[in-house]
Amino acid sequence: MRHFRSLIEDASVLKKRKNSEVKDTKTGVFIIFTPSMKQLLSIRNLVTEFSSDGKTTRAVNAINLQLNKGETVGIVGESGSGKSVTSLSVMRLISAPAGKISSGEIIYHNREGADIDLVKLSEKEMMHYRGNEIAMIFQEPMTSLNPVFTCGYQVMEALQLHKKLDKKAARERTIELFKKVKLPRPEAIFDSYPHQVSGGQKQRVMIAMAMSCEPSVLIADEPTTALDVTVQATILDLMRQLQQENEMGILFITHDLGVIAELAQRVVVMYKGNIVEEGPVAEIFKNPKHPYTKGLLACRPPLTHKLKKLPTVADFMRQENGNLIETGESLEAVTIKFKVTEEELAARKTALYKKEPILKVENLATWFPIKKGVFSRTRDYVKAVDNVSFDVFPGETVGLVGESGCGKTTLGRTILRLIEPTSGKVWFNGSELTGLGASEMRAKRRDIQIIFQDPYSSLNPRMEVGAAIMEPMNVHGILANEKERKERVIELLKRVNLTPEHFNRYPHEFSGGQRQRICIARAIALQPKFIICDESVSALDVSVQAQVLNLLNELRDDFGFTYIFISHDLSVVKFMSDRMIVMNKGKIEEMGDPELIYKNPQSEYTRKLIAAIPKGM
Amino acid sequence: MIGFLARKFWYGLLVIAGVVTVVFFLFNILPGDPARMMLGQRADISSIENINRELGRDKPMVVQFAMYVNDLSPLSFHDTENKASVWFADESRYGSMFTILPLGSKALMVKSPYLRRSYQTRQEVSEIIKDALPGTVILAIAALLFAAVAGIALGILAALYKNRIIDHLINVLAVFGMAVPSFFAGIIIAWLFGFVWADITGLNMTGSLYRIDPFDGMVLEVKNLLLPAFTLGIRPLSVIVQLTRSSMLDVLSQDYIRTAKAKGLSKQVVILRHALRNALNPVLTAVSGWFGSLLAGAVFIEYIFGWKGIGKVTVDSLETYDFPVVMGAVLIVSVFFVIINLIVDLLYGVLDPRIRVS
Repeated sequence: MRHFRSLIEDASVLKKRKNSEVKDTKTGVFIIFTPSMKQLLSIRNLVTEFSSDGKTTRAVNAINLQLNKGETVGIVGESGSGKSVTSLSVMRLISAPAGKISSGEIIYHNREGADIDLVKLSEKEMMHYRGNEIAMIFQEPMTSLNPVFTCGYQVMEALQLHKKLDKKAARERTIELFKKVKLPRPEAIFDSYPHQVSGGQKQRVMIAMAMSCEPSVLIADEPTTALDVTVQATILDLMRQLQQENEMGILFITHDLGVIAELAQRVVVMYKGNIVEEGPVAEIFKNPKHPYTKGLLACRPPLTHKLKKLPTVADFMRQENGNLIETGESLEAVTIKFKVTEEELAARKTALYKKEPILKVENLATWFPIKKGVFSRTRDYVKAVDNVSFDVFPGETVGLVGESGCGKTTLGRTILRLIEPTSGKVWFNGSELTGLGASEMRAKRRDIQIIFQDPYSSLNPRMEVGAAIMEPMNVHGILANEKERKERVIELLKRVNLTPEHFNRYPHEFSGGQRQRICIARAIALQPKFIICDESVSALDVSVQAQVLNLLNELRDDFGFTYIFISHDLSVVKFMSDRMIVMNKGKIEEMGDPELIYKNPQSEYTRKLIAAIPKGM
Repeated sequence: MIGFLARKFWYGLLVIAGVVTVVFFLFNILPGDPARMMLGQRADISSIENINRELGRDKPMVVQFAMYVNDLSPLSFHDTENKASVWFADESRYGSMFTILPLGSKALMVKSPYLRRSYQTRQEVSEIIKDALPGTVILAIAALLFAAVAGIALGILAALYKNRIIDHLINVLAVFGMAVPSFFAGIIIAWLFGFVWADITGLNMTGSLYRIDPFDGMVLEVKNLLLPAFTLGIRPLSVIVQLTRSSMLDVLSQDYIRTAKAKGLSKQVVILRHALRNALNPVLTAVSGWFGSLLAGAVFIEYIFGWKGIGKVTVDSLETYDFPVVMGAVLIVSVFFVIINLIVDLLYGVLDPRIRVS
């Protein structure tokens, strides 16, 4: 051991002299020591395991990964594939005692030029590298900043710790960093608390924090997933620019291959803790080998053409007794199979618009008063929905797209009168909703249902899934007795591709996609005519998103539902809808055929929105 | 900020007005003849009538209520000429008064609130309360200071060592602390520390904050505070331990704690600077509620340790139907409640900028 250590010491001395030969003192043989000057991080046979109730699961299963200076490596995979655990392993932030790095090495080439195995470092030694040489940006800018400290303080803290700057110098440096990440009014943001700035600005603060000590390695764990496309585009731009300045290595983790193509040179595809494919971005996009990669590439809603249904990972592979079985389909074959012909589209349209509209929205406005002063007098209004009119025809899907804060969610909720409108009328099936009394409205709610964004918080954690689906039926007195209702629930569970055994389980036992299916089952339990999907797939991975979107389309065709589909993701809205409404600042910017709007956007805002979508390859 | 304070102050006034109303009518519905209480069972009719007239009890209830409010309010109407009137501005009763708006024979005047006199001792109620209040306030502050400091420390410890021996031990102690009745704990503690081990501890079983010394007069006896404060603090301590533990566990699993660790901050900094401040809000709510109720007096503790406080005064006066004292005590306590609530509302903002008022 001592022999080995002296070897390393020699090596580091020699490296400073730009010499690459080390004499092995024991054997007298010269070892050519050629550390690639570019290599930054090298993960070798990393195994990270989590144990609970005596059961051990391998989240990361002996992976090998290399990151060089100035390089961006993308790690793609769905939730649970082990991509986040890999990044947290590098930071040594795996939460003990449940999780631990069982074996393997993470060799980091530090600033002094020595190679260090991060796995073997003590907690105290690791603290020197965290935030200093290896920094990380997290997925949720909303929750990743401490709400009780100012944005500036949280960045300053790292500078004072690692760079040993005094308060004044740290403040100046922080404001400089804020300027660099293009935060508006850096001095004001310095003294603002996280809740006072927008999501995109928070992520910029996070980036400033990560960049503050000029790290050699930056790990970005889904840094743009929670953001609007336009904001995402600017953040990606910023990261690219910062990387060029500092020659950092970036590990970019995401579930969306489209984003990776914008930034990374190499891609690593992870599936169930293993790396299933690795290669240059262009190569992976052009010629994916592994069926899972094919699935990931295919399941993103395409922008250039319209599909009947989205391909899913299941079209390329399936699991039997723990073995992967490839279907052997190529990417092109599947895509062509699902393409919609012009005739089919035209036929659908004529059938749709023959009928009378089921929903008519007339000059609807929802204004929220801004109250100020001792007597809470209304000084001004936030015009969340401002004079909006449109029709929806039976069996149609109307897509509602726009950035967060554009009023699309408020519009959906106002139609349902979950929020009372300030003025305007909503006609549903011939009756005017805004004038109805509370009990009449309750009866109408049976026909109009809503599926919310977050499948994690929209199910009561203390209620069995079956009971949750049954509840609306009990409320509205559907079916004669408990037994019939239960049978109906089981039918519904099967319909959304769950099994009857799931009836007595609790929400925490399900994945995000399964939960959203449960929410869908609950919404359709009342056999509504009209469903509002409010960002129903935004919290899901692309691969799961495709399954849920397909399910929604199938249900529409089987039961004749009419949808208003609300999303910030233009590609998803374009795939889903027969007509698309683009909203901005409470007003309708543009309305019409999604293909036409995409090819020939009329308003400046729509153009900006389309330009910001990551195009992939 | 000023708007917020003004609004809170206004709400506080409303609360106190409500308390005054309820207290007044409650104690006037209860049976009991103050004149007989003052003069004894053998008093003659004319004396009783005199007393009743002096107290205004020959007037209708509504007028009596108006008189009561007028007595309490620092801004009040008085008759400046007719000495026989119940509204007369009697300086021997109200203390010094200032006229701010003369209206003929009447005047709008400023005075300190008058809580009337005890039926039993004829002493001014404000004097009785002034005597008992410092003991109660100091006892409550000491007990809660002890409970908060020890409770938060133990709570953090329990959260950090979740599901390990330390955590279980602290939990058992907390449950025990909540389960033990204070009168029982008080007796045991007084007996053990004030009697059995008195030679080692040097503490007395009973005693107030001040000792009356034959030569020096009032002498401060801080050591007498230890046992009652400790006993009184056991229960809030147990609650604070559990609250801190659960809220700390919640905060420690938050994303921003991971961010703080990723910055390379040491464990202590992460816990004490980043986690604790976020975890303190529920604790503050509990402490403030508890503080309010401790100010109403900890009757058992005051009795057991012979501590002079508001609780003891209230219970003694209730026993003898000495309503002015009880009413005064209730009013003072409600004023304290309002003030504490105001302070806590401001403290929330200090702890968490998200609920800071603009």
